[in-house]
Amino acid sequence: MRQVYFDNAATTFPKPPSVAEAVKTAVEKAGGNPGRGGHSFSVNAGAKVYEVRAAAAKMFSAEPENTVFTQNCTHALNLAIKGIIRPGDRAVISSMEHNSVARPAYALSKQGARISVAAIGRSDEETVKNFRAEITSGVKCVICTAASNVTGRVNPIRKIAEMCRSEGVCFIVDGAQACGTVPISLGDGMNFLCTAGHKGLYGPTGTGLLISDGKYALKTVIEGGTGATSGELEQTGFMPERLESGTVNTVGILGLGQGIKYVETMGMQRIRAHEEELCDILIDGLKTIDGAKVYRRGERFVPIVSFNIEGIPAPALSNALSEQGFALRGGLHCAFLAHKTLGTLPDGTVRFSPSAFSSEKDVYALINSLKKICKTGV
Amino acid sequence: MTYTLIGVYSVTYAMKSKNILNNMGYYCEIERQEKNSRTGCGYVLRVRDDPQLITGILERSGIKTSGKQTVERGR
Repeated sequence: MRQVYFDNAATTFPKPPSVAEAVKTAVEKAGGNPGRGGHSFSVNAGAKVYEVRAAAAKMFSAEPENTVFTQNCTHALNLAIKGIIRPGDRAVISSMEHNSVARPAYALSKQGARISVAAIGRSDEETVKNFRAEITSGVKCVICTAASNVTGRVNPIRKIAEMCRSEGVCFIVDGAQACGTVPISLGDGMNFLCTAGHKGLYGPTGTGLLISDGKYALKTVIEGGTGATSGELEQTGFMPERLESGTVNTVGILGLGQGIKYVETMGMQRIRAHEEELCDILIDGLKTIDGAKVYRRGERFVPIVSFNIEGIPAPALSNALSEQGFALRGGLHCAFLAHKTLGTLPDGTVRFSPSAFSSEKDVYALINSLKKICKTGV
Repeated sequence: MTYTLIGVYSVTYAMKSKNILNNMGYYCEIERQEKNSRTGCGYVLRVRDDPQLITGILERSGIKTSGKQTVERGR
């Protein structure tokens, strides 16, 4: 049976052919260890990695040295969160955070940090008001997702950043679902923008980015070989090497470079318009199904639709869809806090997330399958 | 021909320096430092133009250099 992939919020698939080609070429030709020697293999690999670093930096209005390659967005968020917050510090997170923020925050709270939660409100105005109430004197850091991985809702990052700046508070943004999908950059005012390379940027898995404005020096979580200031036991202070201990993922990074090029060539707006159209088709289809509930409250969304059908637990519904050839993610989407906020515990929701490669025809087929499942049961 | 070797601390700064200088029309090639500096391994930029001018450009771009040395090399 043909399988249709609608789980692009987890990781985009398929990847553009240029990404696969870059990965193959990297394995075959970029064999040196970047930044680790003066021979041509190392220097060539270093130059290729730098090209991607510069392209990523440009996309998010950063300097190349403040653009750190990570394994994924969770890795980037951990480096930023644990690099800033110390025992006794106060920090604020939103009520819609993924576990990549909620779990490090919880772990830090067990070490003595005080974490409070600002509720994402019915409107952007209410959200801003809720953050304003939490950003009181003594708060060191605010962390907020740019767009929910459960509902796709886009948060008022720019306004929260303004508040943080005026209060002298560090602002970390989880851009996993926003980067490559909606315009977002350091120009929006955050100090750290964390993202995956393998989602909206269409790179291979194992890639992520930690982008900063350079205002805050992060305490390191991992130390080791960096190819810089190797004659000192103290971890190098030079960025990005300070946060890139060990050999970087050259193969993944060169693939990511082509992913970024793909998004730039296709145009972010064009990709988003296509994906939004597919979301609208699904939402219209769900309106014709008895007991279907779509979780969309807010003003702006990235192309994600979370839904449930009364009487069918989300994991059972996604399993039934999988048997009919549709890959949608059902459950908690690694976002306990978000589902608690939505009131969708313990089973969560079913999440539909298309990509540039998804088709209208397949969305209509999905709607037909949902109708069939509703009629016959799971 | 006379060159100047200007030390930088990392491959990222070496690549950034080369990009900036080449884009401005200045010759710049990257080499590994032949002799480690006090802090350990790093890279050097091989440049032909006035080293004061070059380091000034790099410093204005936020690139810290780790010393310079003039060398004579055969063609």
